[in-house]
Amino acid sequence: MIKFYEKRKIFFALSAAIMIVGLVALFINGVNLSIQFKGGAIIKYSYTGEMNAEAAADKATEILNRNTEVQLTEDLATHSKKIVFNLSGNSGLDANDQDKFDAELKKAFPDSQLELSESNVVQPFIGKRFLTNGLIALGLTSLFIIIYVRFRFKKISGLSAGVIGLIALVHDVLVVFFIFVIFKMPINDSFIAVTLTIIGYSINDTIVIYDRIRENKPYFEKKTFEELVDTSINQSLSRSINTSITTGISILIVCILAFAYNIDSIKTFAIPMLVGVISGCYSTVCLAGPMLVMWHKRQQEA
Amino acid sequence: MRLNKNMYILVILLIICISLVAVFGVNAGSVQIKGMKDIRFGIDIRGGVEAVFEPADLNRVPTASELESAKIIMETRMDAQNILDREITVDNNNGQIIVRFPWKSGETNFNPQAAIAELGETARLTFRDPDGNILVEGKDVKESVVQLDKKTGKPVVTLVFNNEGAKQFADATERLVGQRISIYMDETLISAPNVREKISGGNSVISDIGSVEEAKDLSDKINSGALPFSLVSKNHSTITPTLGSGALDVMIKAGMLAFAFVCLFMIFYYRILGFVACLAIILQVSIQMLALSIPQVTLTLTGIAGIILSIGMGVDANVIIAERIREELRAGRSLGYCIDTGYKKAFSAVFDGNITTIAAAIIMMIFGTGSMLSFGYTLMVGCILNFVSGVTASQIISKSMSMNDAFAKKSLYGVKVKEAK
Repeated sequence: MIKFYEKRKIFFALSAAIMIVGLVALFINGVNLSIQFKGGAIIKYSYTGEMNAEAAADKATEILNRNTEVQLTEDLATHSKKIVFNLSGNSGLDANDQDKFDAELKKAFPDSQLELSESNVVQPFIGKRFLTNGLIALGLTSLFIIIYVRFRFKKISGLSAGVIGLIALVHDVLVVFFIFVIFKMPINDSFIAVTLTIIGYSINDTIVIYDRIRENKPYFEKKTFEELVDTSINQSLSRSINTSITTGISILIVCILAFAYNIDSIKTFAIPMLVGVISGCYSTVCLAGPMLVMWHKRQQEA
Repeated sequence: MRLNKNMYILVILLIICISLVAVFGVNAGSVQIKGMKDIRFGIDIRGGVEAVFEPADLNRVPTASELESAKIIMETRMDAQNILDREITVDNNNGQIIVRFPWKSGETNFNPQAAIAELGETARLTFRDPDGNILVEGKDVKESVVQLDKKTGKPVVTLVFNNEGAKQFADATERLVGQRISIYMDETLISAPNVREKISGGNSVISDIGSVEEAKDLSDKINSGALPFSLVSKNHSTITPTLGSGALDVMIKAGMLAFAFVCLFMIFYYRILGFVACLAIILQVSIQMLALSIPQVTLTLTGIAGIILSIGMGVDANVIIAERIREELRAGRSLGYCIDTGYKKAFSAVFDGNITTIAAAIIMMIFGTGSMLSFGYTLMVGCILNFVSGVTASQIISKSMSMNDAFAKKSLYGVKVKEAK
């Protein structure tokens, strides 16, 4: 049997270390809020042959009268090449202007066979609404979970269980957030989707263990709360591991294929999800259980 | 329900039937069920355009009827371009119109930004004589309403012109008695009534219209020609079909590989219970597909991620159950008792876990748009199905199978014989 409570300091130190790394990364990299939230315009073209990024940027700036950054990317799997125009500022772009841009750009680089691949143009106020709605959804979900756990787990002092479940959850959400920060991935709608998924996953993990504690409680009246929690975690350990393996490897497969085919929309979804799933399992087993014991001990002392 | 030892065959057959329906659909006369190939994919998968239109240079929120007129203009234009598979949503609170339409693969000279720009232009409603000369313009039409002719009881469309329009119209009708006046929106002919007599006074009636619906359609189109503003889109995204379908292919490949891995792992680890878990997942995914294809809910990439997550939750439910059954078996009790107890003990954990996820999914559906909505929907449906397939169906199969001598060995349930004594 693994004594999770006894070893709690190791786990707390590990989590603290992860948080510090994340904060340092946040300080260095900053938050890359996607144009989906802050507004702006990104237009991608596929091209053939060679292109001079600087010349393209100058041309784009000239056509639109708006500073433009240009980036060249190449797909490792298919070797198709893309040029990405990132317009400065966070205002949108009129479809008429984009049409003009399209025509003049093709005229300026006739040999590159420019083909529009994707474009994303967002007005700042629409992005802000989107972000607000996402945050409201996050807040409401958290609130629901505390209330739900408070009533469903009255037997193991529901409030502490709810609050600790939420701490574990915030831990996982922060880990996901730091992954976005460390890899400099833009905070976009897939961030909201991943975060909400991890909230569901993490709380599910925590609930399975709480459920075991609730069930074991009557048989542990003569033993300590510490033993009750440690035994319950150990009893459900093979479930925690097997579920994490199946979910983790499934997402890993998605990750690998997303990289092989270089599909950004799936990549920015799958990497943080993978880390979030691992974190969700870890935070439940190694953090929530010991914290529950600590809360309980503090209450008995008082 | 009383179980017997052959029940599992029935349930497995049922699962096979449902999965076949989900994949191929049903097309038998009056019974029509849409299958997997008819699922409506979002533009991030099949390629296309999404644009949010707002009035240009208008310093107030447009009224609901103005937005409705603008929507009608867009619909007429898209009909003219044969873009029938589209979604036009009017957001009255924010005074916006959201348009989504696919970009058909093979359309190489399609210019999405030009298409968006054209959609928002002010509609040009014109009344023309047989030679194509413009007689009256839409801005001179004050309003158009549907009425019922008191004598014939048939629907008619009444037009009211302003002073200028009334004068022009009177001149034109005087000249064109016995001929047709054609009403165009942009270059699309919407009606060509016959002129019976000179119409002065600014009130004109178009009769001989088939149904009230047709009359209303015509009247709406004429009204929309008087819309005082044009629309611009400074918020739009386009994605080529090749890029989109590439993402779909990757997701499908990843899904199949992941499913194969999960099945192998579960069968290797939990034997019969693992096999039952795989059946439960097949059932869950099949019904999930039907929940998308029958009501034609748009499936985006994040929606597919929602399916993957709910499969994960389904696997988790079965892992919890299988672990519980194994614990009971290790304690040396009879197989039937262990299966019943395992399901009973696992239920509260599965219940609480799925209910919280369903709540999160519903919150996402309320506050999310587009990609979040699709994710919330598939996740919610998946978690609800977890109770049907992951708990109920799988319990019937495993219990019924265990009643057969061939499947009665405890080693087939992932317990080492030595452990089980």
